[in-house]
Amino acid sequence: MKLLTHNVLTSKCIRGVTVGYPLLIKATNVKVSEVEFKPDFVAKVLPKIEWDVLANAAESLGHWQNLPKELPNNYENDTDFLKKIHRVLLEVEVIQGELICPESGRKFPITNGIANMLLNEDEV
Amino acid sequence: MSQNVEPFKGLKKLNRKLAKLHHILKRDINISTVSTPTNNLVLCNSGLVNGLTEDQVFEHFSKHGEISNITMLPGKSCCFVSFSKKDSATSAYECFNGKLNISQNNRPVYLSFVEEVPKPSIEVIWNELPPGLLVFKNFISTEEELNLLKLIDFNHEQCGLLKHRLVKHFGFEFRYDINNVDKNQPLDQSVPTETDFLWLKLAQIQPEFKGFKPDQLTVNHYAPGQGIPHHIDTHSAFEDPIICLSLGSSIVMEFKKDGTHTCVLLPQRSLLVMSGESRYDWTHGIVPRKFDIIKTKLGGYTCLKRTTRVSFTFRKVLSTGKCECFYRSKCDSFLNCNIEEKMAVQLEKMHVHKVYDNIANHFSNTRHKPWPNVMDFVQSFDSGDFLVDVGCGNGKYLSNNTHTFEIGCDRSANLIEICRNRKFEAFLTDCLSIPIRDNCIDGVISIAVIHHLANESRRLQAIQEIVRILKKGGKALIYVWAHEQVKNKQKSSYIMQDRKNRKGTKEMNGQCLTSAQQVSLDSGNITLPVHSNRSNFQADDLLVPWKLKGDEEENESVFLRFYHVFKEHELEELCLKVENVRILKSYYDQGNWCVLFQKM
Ligand SMILES: [Zn+2]
Repeated sequence: MKLLTHNVLTSKCIRGVTVGYPLLIKATNVKVSEVEFKPDFVAKVLPKIEWDVLANAAESLGHWQNLPKELPNNYENDTDFLKKIHRVLLEVEVIQGELICPESGRKFPITNGIANMLLNEDEV
Repeated sequence: MSQNVEPFKGLKKLNRKLAKLHHILKRDINISTVSTPTNNLVLCNSGLVNGLTEDQVFEHFSKHGEISNITMLPGKSCCFVSFSKKDSATSAYECFNGKLNISQNNRPVYLSFVEEVPKPSIEVIWNELPPGLLVFKNFISTEEELNLLKLIDFNHEQCGLLKHRLVKHFGFEFRYDINNVDKNQPLDQSVPTETDFLWLKLAQIQPEFKGFKPDQLTVNHYAPGQGIPHHIDTHSAFEDPIICLSLGSSIVMEFKKDGTHTCVLLPQRSLLVMSGESRYDWTHGIVPRKFDIIKTKLGGYTCLKRTTRVSFTFRKVLSTGKCECFYRSKCDSFLNCNIEEKMAVQLEKMHVHKVYDNIANHFSNTRHKPWPNVMDFVQSFDSGDFLVDVGCGNGKYLSNNTHTFEIGCDRSANLIEICRNRKFEAFLTDCLSIPIRDNCIDGVISIAVIHHLANESRRLQAIQEIVRILKKGGKALIYVWAHEQVKNKQKSSYIMQDRKNRKGTKEMNGQCLTSAQQVSLDSGNITLPVHSNRSNFQADDLLVPWKLKGDEEENESVFLRFYHVFKEHELEELCLKVENVRILKSYYDQGNWCVLFQKM
């Protein structure tokens, strides 16, 4: 699971959960694998994401690389910055661990990089 | 004795032949022949498997006296004819033995006397009407008959020709391809008012049918030798009763239910009323032949030569399109009914989720080629857009597009693992509760997924979820399997594929032999039709087999996948039930109904 995916995941489908966002990450295995860097793509994606959520998630995994706590202005041409963000968004992957619903504490296992978001019949 | 005395040599040969045949009879059906005359003759070397028919036997043997019974045994090369008098049997024996050329390839038939005749497995019952069937003899006068016949001009170009049988429809066309009428397309000619007197008369004789007023009439023109295959009039198409007037000729109509087979004589000018069980639970048909053999009340047979028969079948179109009968095993409305929620959940678990996990690898190996229209949609997005493939399978549509961020999700762990091995971003989820935030996705595709949901509210919920995760202005493309596999006379690739792959001689006729399967689930049993692969669908909710070959040829396992196949406009109507949906495009593609919509 990439952190860009984590940025849109919610547990609000659980009955009784209203927001279910952001999900907490507990990782036992995190891998960084190289993905082709496309600055244009990263620049276009940034306005769409929740910056705080990304920052907290990356920090909890130890991969925030001292990036600023707030999304800076005029990042479009800052290749260094975009490269670092690219790494956080697409290269850092949780291979083993779990996602935790902030409201109910329900755990969703992550195995072999795949998050299992399936709910039981009595949870929906 | 016959006029021509056989030479001694010929007689010896005949006896040898007979001895051999007697041996076979004893071995095959345990029947012993006797040398002294009895009332019963066996035709030792000719029966149903040789193409011999009851009426052929009747035609020849009735010349020698009154026949009391003809016994044809399914799958046997012999048959039996019984006479009321022993003299008649003797006379037929002497005249025909070794001389009557009605055996296969016009060879002579060999006869013997027998004490007893075997009972056929299915006995034909005569003149005992199935429950709900009524036959009114002389319902109309010869003058009324003539007037009615004058109404129909069979030379007119509007008549359809069905296997050489002429047909004309009034009110609505009965379409033999869908076994139904198109309620939205009434014909210019409604049921002629000249037939109205029939209903006044019927109400007088049988008050329960007071108020029956048909809006659909099918007139069939049967020349001698023509018939109609066994069928039940589609439950959801017509009300109860169905009424048939026989003009021009008498005929025998057969009715069958389970193992019961009964023959009913429909005399010329009679009115047949099929209601209740006889309308819903029994098939009816007419054997194509030139004359009918009729068992008389005294137990004998007589022959009735057919002349041209014109039948008027009156029906009332069922406006609701939903039959409410109790004869559920034959009821298309029941078999296609909305599956209750608890049942739907279990049905999907057993006949969708489990199946895909089992067939994942084989399924993935057969799914390489993306559909061009879906590809075009996927590639239409801007740089940095988020795309979600709901029910992504093996990830066929993921990562075609390097400037967008694509996430796949599916219900099958094994399929998601295949995606993961192909380095695609994917997670496990159910399409009824997608774990993605509201209003944050630019594009969604859901290809061949929603048809696996077992009732309408679940299918609607899946679309609601897609709309929920879409951004305002975001677009979704949905594909579902179409009930209509033949569109504009063009067979879909699903049916075509089979033509290419089919080996052997079996002919493809676009029709399928639907069998039914009872599925046992925790919450009860449900009976669903099982689709025969590569043919037209005959029900909306059905099971489609997936054959998985093992290492050995004989290790083939069959998995049944649940499908709800969509009728034209059904997907559009479903999408429009969701708020903020604007349909941009709706089309038919390779046997699928497809909708492209935008969130407003
Ligand atoms: Zn019915």
